[in-house]
Amino acid sequence: MEKSNERTNIMNKMLEIKDLHASVGDKEILKGINLSVNEGEIHAIMGPNGSGKSTLSAVLAGKTTFKVTSGSIKYYGKNLLKLSPEERSWAGIFLSFQYPTEIPGVSNINFMKTAINEHRIHKGLEPLNAASFLKLMRAKMNVVKMDNSFSSRGVNVGFSGGEKKKNEIFQMAMLDPKLSILDETDSGLDVDALRIVAEGVNTLRKPDSSVIIITHYQRLLGYIVPDIVHVLYNGRIIKTAGKELVQQIENNGFDWLIK
Amino acid sequence: MDYSKFTYAPSNKIINKFNCDVPLVNARQIYVIDGGVNGTDLPLSLNIDKNTQIKDLLQVISVRNNTSDLKKEFNTDLIMEEDSSARFLMCSHTMSGDNFYTDEMIKIKLEKNSNADIVYMQNEHNSATHHFHFDINLEEGSSLKMVFMTLHGGCILDDIKLSLNGEHANCDLSGLYLMDGNQRIENRIDLTHQVPNCNSSQLFKGILDDNSVGHFDGIIRVVKDAQKTKAYQANHNLILSDQVHTYAKPQLEIYADDVKCSHGASTGRLDEEELFYMRSRGISMYEAKVLQQMAFVYSVLKKISNEEIRQRMIELADARLRGNFPGCTKCAQKSFMI
Repeated sequence: MEKSNERTNIMNKMLEIKDLHASVGDKEILKGINLSVNEGEIHAIMGPNGSGKSTLSAVLAGKTTFKVTSGSIKYYGKNLLKLSPEERSWAGIFLSFQYPTEIPGVSNINFMKTAINEHRIHKGLEPLNAASFLKLMRAKMNVVKMDNSFSSRGVNVGFSGGEKKKNEIFQMAMLDPKLSILDETDSGLDVDALRIVAEGVNTLRKPDSSVIIITHYQRLLGYIVPDIVHVLYNGRIIKTAGKELVQQIENNGFDWLIK
Repeated sequence: MDYSKFTYAPSNKIINKFNCDVPLVNARQIYVIDGGVNGTDLPLSLNIDKNTQIKDLLQVISVRNNTSDLKKEFNTDLIMEEDSSARFLMCSHTMSGDNFYTDEMIKIKLEKNSNADIVYMQNEHNSATHHFHFDINLEEGSSLKMVFMTLHGGCILDDIKLSLNGEHANCDLSGLYLMDGNQRIENRIDLTHQVPNCNSSQLFKGILDDNSVGHFDGIIRVVKDAQKTKAYQANHNLILSDQVHTYAKPQLEIYADDVKCSHGASTGRLDEEELFYMRSRGISMYEAKVLQQMAFVYSVLKKISNEEIRQRMIELADARLRGNFPGCTKCAQKSFMI
């Protein structure tokens, strides 16, 4: 614990969410979220169904279905809410979708090549040539033990639940984000796939990169150990503690926190 | 007219003017200028001899050039004799933004067990009107694959009358149209199964923007004794503006009782979920839209069997979706500059 505090002091503040309210239609879903994430930290956000976890991740990624009515999100001191989804991606934010979208007709390889090259153009780099791109792609597919045959298939089309989630982590590996938000990445995974995905995430970690894990269960948190655990309920964070909270929730459910 | 009169490279002066260098290895090219072959008054009439298998791609480049008479009427005949096979790329262009009006009659006949693979590219100026009348007949055991690529043009009308006259004949028609501005495309298809045991398939897809208008009016007729017919028809439209009009009229008229037929049509917009997913990976809105549109039309593009032509058409479609007049910069537009 001491060590962790020491780290915190020298770490830069990455994300700061203040009194965030968001709604869809007339329905308010987030009712005043406060959360701050420093470089190098792993945060877990847990909570029962319908508490607003996925809304929070969608708002962070810039989905316009949800309207932010008040509050602020700062990312390295800049107003994140002003950025388009692609600008957020260029700035290093990555959302692993709970339900990855299928894009028939766009091959995984074409999809990733377009994404990588736009990232590179944005950084003032030349687009990768075909050979270097393929080499990079093969290396990163290996991180989640994805077969090379997936590269020519339509993005997520006909992928099993586990393959879709592996594909998300593969994309994360390709884009090398600073802040990764894993929205129920563990749902729909069998034990082996869960381990592969978790190991993939751990391999990709860097001292200055952070992860927000959104989950119902402790399963994934057994592999990727969080520094800080939050419980989200009814649009608010009602509890923040260390990793020991995970086991308490697993044993006692959320009821004792909600009351 | 003998196919061997097709030259590998244009030789005379007039032909040199239309220096099409579509990168097709071993393609034999013929130029039809204002309806006449190689600068003559002769209409194009091609006869592929019995038992002849032509390996080379035959490319017909038909251009409207002479502006002193803007109304053009001409015929094109293509006869595939028994057991012959050939591949064609037919390109139709206007050479300037004058008000060309073209009325073209195209007769295609596939005799017993013959096989034709045709890509028909229509790429004309906004001021051009082109009315294509196709009269297509398929005899026993013959097979026709035809892909229409309507990339650009003020008003393109495809009237396709197709008849399956002999058993075990197959036809696969597909079309892609990319329209914007005030352009108009009409595909009218009247396809008749006259005999049993034939297959037919139609897949027409289009993307329409601005004030463009798209019509699809297709009918499959299956006559009384044409049992074991398999017929499929689909028209799908993607619309990018509120001002677009699309009309889809897929029809079946079946008088036989042992057939498999389906038809359908749809009109939709870009998928917001897909766009968001792509953008969340750093693909800009613009590129995400182009990707999605290419994905939409890919099912038609992949029907082009020749790899080189398919790649070329993918490039042209991509350029078109980025708002360019693809103009076959390597072909017609280049000659227009000369």
